[in-house]
Amino acid sequence: MQANIKVRRFNPETPSKEAHYQEFSVDVHESSSVLDALIKVREEVDGTLALRCSCRASICGSCSMRVNGQATLVCKTRLEEVAPNGEQITIDPMGNMPVIKDLVVDMKLHWDKVRAVDPYLRPGGPEPDGEYIAPNEAMEHLVGVMNCIMCGACVSDCTALEVDENFTGPAALAKAYRFVADPRDDTTHERLGKLNEYPHIWDCTRCYYCVEVCPKDVAPMDRIMKMRDMAIEDGYTNTPGYRHTESFVSSVRKHGRLDESRLAVDSVGWTNLPGLLDLAPVGLKALRKGKLPPIIPHKAEDHKQIRKIVDKLEDEAK
Amino acid sequence: MKYAFYPGCVARGGAPELYDSAVAVMDRLGIEHVELTKASCNGAGVLQEKNRKLGDILNVRTLALAEQMGLPIMTICSTCQGVISQANHRVLRDPAYLEEVNTYLAEEGLEYKGTTVVKHLLWILIEDIGLEKLKSTFTRELTGVNIAPFYGCYIVRPSDALGFGENPERQTSLDEMIKAVGASVTDFPGKTKCCGFPILMINQKNSMKMVSQHTGDAKDRGADAMVTPCPLCHLNLDGYQPKARKNNRGDKADLPIIHLPQMLGLAMGMDHKSLGLQRHIVSTTSLVRKTETVPAGGSAESD
Amino acid sequence: MYEHDLLIIGAGLAGLRAAVEGVRNGSNVAVISKVHPVRSHSNAAQGGINAALTDRGDDWEDHALATIKGSDYLADQDAVEIMAREAGDALIELEHMGVIFSRDETGHLGTRRFGGQKKARTFFVGAITGQAMLHVLYEQALKYGLQVYEEWYVTSLIVEDGAVRGVTALDIHSGELHTIRAKAVIMAAGGAGRVFEPSTNALICTGDGLALAWRAGAALMDMEMIQYHPTTLARTGILLSEAARGEGAYLINSEGERFMERYAPEYLELASRDVVSRAEQTEIDEGRGIDGNVLLDLRHLGRKFIEDRLGYLQEVATEFMGIDLAEQPVPIRPGMHYIMGGIKTDVNGLTSVPGLYAAGECANVSVHGANRLGANSLLDTVVFGRRSAQHAVEYVKSINGNGSSSEEHLETEKKRLQAILDRERGLKSAAVRQEMAESMTAGIGVFRDQESMEGAQAKIKEIREQLPRVSVDDKGKVFNTDLMFALELDFMVDVAESVCAGALARKESRGAHFRTDLEDRDDENWLKHTLVYKTDEGIRVDTSPVTITKWEPVTRVY
Repeated sequence: MQANIKVRRFNPETPSKEAHYQEFSVDVHESSSVLDALIKVREEVDGTLALRCSCRASICGSCSMRVNGQATLVCKTRLEEVAPNGEQITIDPMGNMPVIKDLVVDMKLHWDKVRAVDPYLRPGGPEPDGEYIAPNEAMEHLVGVMNCIMCGACVSDCTALEVDENFTGPAALAKAYRFVADPRDDTTHERLGKLNEYPHIWDCTRCYYCVEVCPKDVAPMDRIMKMRDMAIEDGYTNTPGYRHTESFVSSVRKHGRLDESRLAVDSVGWTNLPGLLDLAPVGLKALRKGKLPPIIPHKAEDHKQIRKIVDKLEDEAK
Repeated sequence: MKYAFYPGCVARGGAPELYDSAVAVMDRLGIEHVELTKASCNGAGVLQEKNRKLGDILNVRTLALAEQMGLPIMTICSTCQGVISQANHRVLRDPAYLEEVNTYLAEEGLEYKGTTVVKHLLWILIEDIGLEKLKSTFTRELTGVNIAPFYGCYIVRPSDALGFGENPERQTSLDEMIKAVGASVTDFPGKTKCCGFPILMINQKNSMKMVSQHTGDAKDRGADAMVTPCPLCHLNLDGYQPKARKNNRGDKADLPIIHLPQMLGLAMGMDHKSLGLQRHIVSTTSLVRKTETVPAGGSAESD
Repeated sequence: MYEHDLLIIGAGLAGLRAAVEGVRNGSNVAVISKVHPVRSHSNAAQGGINAALTDRGDDWEDHALATIKGSDYLADQDAVEIMAREAGDALIELEHMGVIFSRDETGHLGTRRFGGQKKARTFFVGAITGQAMLHVLYEQALKYGLQVYEEWYVTSLIVEDGAVRGVTALDIHSGELHTIRAKAVIMAAGGAGRVFEPSTNALICTGDGLALAWRAGAALMDMEMIQYHPTTLARTGILLSEAARGEGAYLINSEGERFMERYAPEYLELASRDVVSRAEQTEIDEGRGIDGNVLLDLRHLGRKFIEDRLGYLQEVATEFMGIDLAEQPVPIRPGMHYIMGGIKTDVNGLTSVPGLYAAGECANVSVHGANRLGANSLLDTVVFGRRSAQHAVEYVKSINGNGSSSEEHLETEKKRLQAILDRERGLKSAAVRQEMAESMTAGIGVFRDQESMEGAQAKIKEIREQLPRVSVDDKGKVFNTDLMFALELDFMVDVAESVCAGALARKESRGAHFRTDLEDRDDENWLKHTLVYKTDEGIRVDTSPVTITKWEPVTRVY
């Protein structure tokens, strides 16, 4: 079959230093991957095309790039999936990282963030002669996170990183979770304390991009949400994030529904005067437009039944 | 066509114009709807941070309520749609989990068997009503109006819970809707990204950057308005646009953010006041004027 | 110019394990790798790591014997003893570093069975054992602040007064060539799968380390011992771990027969890899294959079991073949996978050149002999990675200064690279490699004979003559992978030559070296290693005795 690809080219050694798209068309086997096609271009058409790739089996994590705007490992993206009728596909380098050349990006920023989460096991007490005893379920659970091959797809498409390059990002936070959830690590409380601060777990937008693009089902966002829960359980409650969640649950408990005005005020914190004043202009404008949520919140019928469920689950969680 | 209507908290709270316009549009289309008054908030992913199981139970309860009525659920909020779909996906994939969740509903005499379909109004219009029938209710083509689609995360991700396999057109449904009303789609990079609402209370600076970037990008590409099927996106993109644009681009809020039913209502020739367009923070006057210069049944170019 | 006490080439398991040891011992250590450490090919080891844990009733001698039998008695038994004895310690150390090994119901480490062994002593992390180990060793590297020359490519070793004193290396990002001086160098640059086509190996496995050491005067040993893995995916050649058979999968031919019953009545699918690959190839050659493949059948294991314990296999089968292992058998065939041969070292990793150590797949200690057992390679990397660093650190203490400050060597290398860049449009390295690699598989395959091996050798000679005409499209400096591929090809041709020389030297069949014209093992004349040297006069072939401690060679039956 014919693979029609449009590749974003960038060569820092050209005088203009401008990126442009270049179209290629190569003949490949029907079950070929996008990577097969790119390699074919590199080997037979244009040896100057720069990309990283190695294992061709979705285990080394080298070949993340954007296919039609979304980050993926091109070795496991089959052409017939993305271009069943020979459509042209567009290949861009990963986002949120500077491009070195063509499809090769500089991942330094990402690795710095991995370093920042103290990415190594810190067991407590004297080292045993044999292995640490740990439940198999815990280890199997961690396989899901260790599946991460640090390909950077989630980093590329993270919407929080896009506006704030300080944000730790999904891959590094999934890495953090790997230790927070490791029963052998003795510094969970300390780790959660650090992760509870900016720019870690609470700065995730919950947009699901990382979950969507991860080629290894690591579900970084789910891990981040779990760490929020763990941080709260561990007593880290002095954050707008905690207050937001708490107020949310309490509103659902009380009314079965959300009390938006209360949610805003609770999140900022009742004692945070500047924060409350900051909310005010938007609130006043909304009021003028007849948009502010009702002072007496809308309740679900049977909200007592909902409260029972909330109470039961909250008890169980304790 | 009859649905169990799940309006969501925001349509019943901070964005009443969504509720009103949605009901008006449904009435015009002859979509019967029974509001799920007993249903709870779905948690919006926030409650799930603290207790995912609690979220799943509350949502399965909603699914069971609709099942009892023998009706599919209709949502008008991307977040509601996504969060309820995810809960549905989780229990359908794992029968043992569904059984466990059902034990919490037994007291109310509820049991979810797993048959409820959950659809956003956006999908219903395409899949159940059909674009042809929808178009037949339009009296005014919005020709010459440029509208940028803003989907809201949960109606596009995670895709495995959203039925894209069977219904691939869902991924471009909002673009299709803009075309259906006769307007032009203004494409921009942020259309499936985050609006910033979920971190509004946590990291307002980042949230404002998102609002500014998306509304600014769409404006720069010629959009007259932005349409969204998610009231949470609306709240942030509309309510915080003045602050966001001032702080990040140093300019003024100039992009009306309209709800999907408002856009449809305009095409159906409804009065902009009845659609609540005057209730937005960012003025919709210029948009309304532009749509009203289009004579009913004609196009803007003809005057 | 950069300076270190100890420079480690390669950041896979052997390299990182050596580096961690070096840093812990207070040495000024750096690692240099042409890819980021976690991109290394150690990732691809799926099934597990062998260790006889004596504290729970296992016997390291039984592991040693299985290894020696697996090697068809070509392994040096002193080295095997060390590996088997140190295995438990190395494993526990990895566990303490944080590897999330699977557990049994008591929370202790759990095992699965692997080929060539009766006892289940393979410790594992799902089907991502190598990846899980590599990432944890990288965590340790971050913990100790290890310096890594990341995406730097070594072009030559600097040899002064007969000892290795550093390297010249290309910073791939900038395109600049540098000298890195070191008192000792540990070569841990991995295998050479790309010398063959097809291969399970990654594109980076180009035998750089083998060629670099060979050019520096080190002996390569038993290079004819090429492992063909029994289960590689049809068409793509992607590896499907032995863990599948370890967990109970069957091999079937086109007639639905579990054919291993005829070849290895006792061990069946879990005979040594060379045995299983030959059986498969025989089935295929005799017309009981399906389009050049046989079938691997996991259906009876059940979906949950497959997904829990062999998740990555399911991922690969689904993503790359569209096959659900719980529903359908998957077509597989033998594929080039590993090179038992390598840079000859003693049990401390020291090569025949002072200052040069080697560990991991590029080294030959020799613990794998003529056929490596599954799950012994990961063990090899950590045991001998550690040992070579321990020894090198001591050696470094005996060396004063970093040798001369001459940049003469660098200038020579710069000219060599520039000459490639300056060449007029000629042959493409990819096409030349393809031709070379296909002829190697054809000539030095699962089955081989004098004629096929000579054919490969003649072809490699032709390829050698083509090398001066290989040109590059990319004349720039930044991330010029085109230039790197040309340099890799140059190394690969060296490796191919050494493999042919070793293969033609060994006049018997042993382990993976199966000659259809000499089918028997000949202990009387060939219970010895083949050694090949690169000299100014051409390749010199020699032999050396195999170290036998307590296990006399006997006929090998599975």
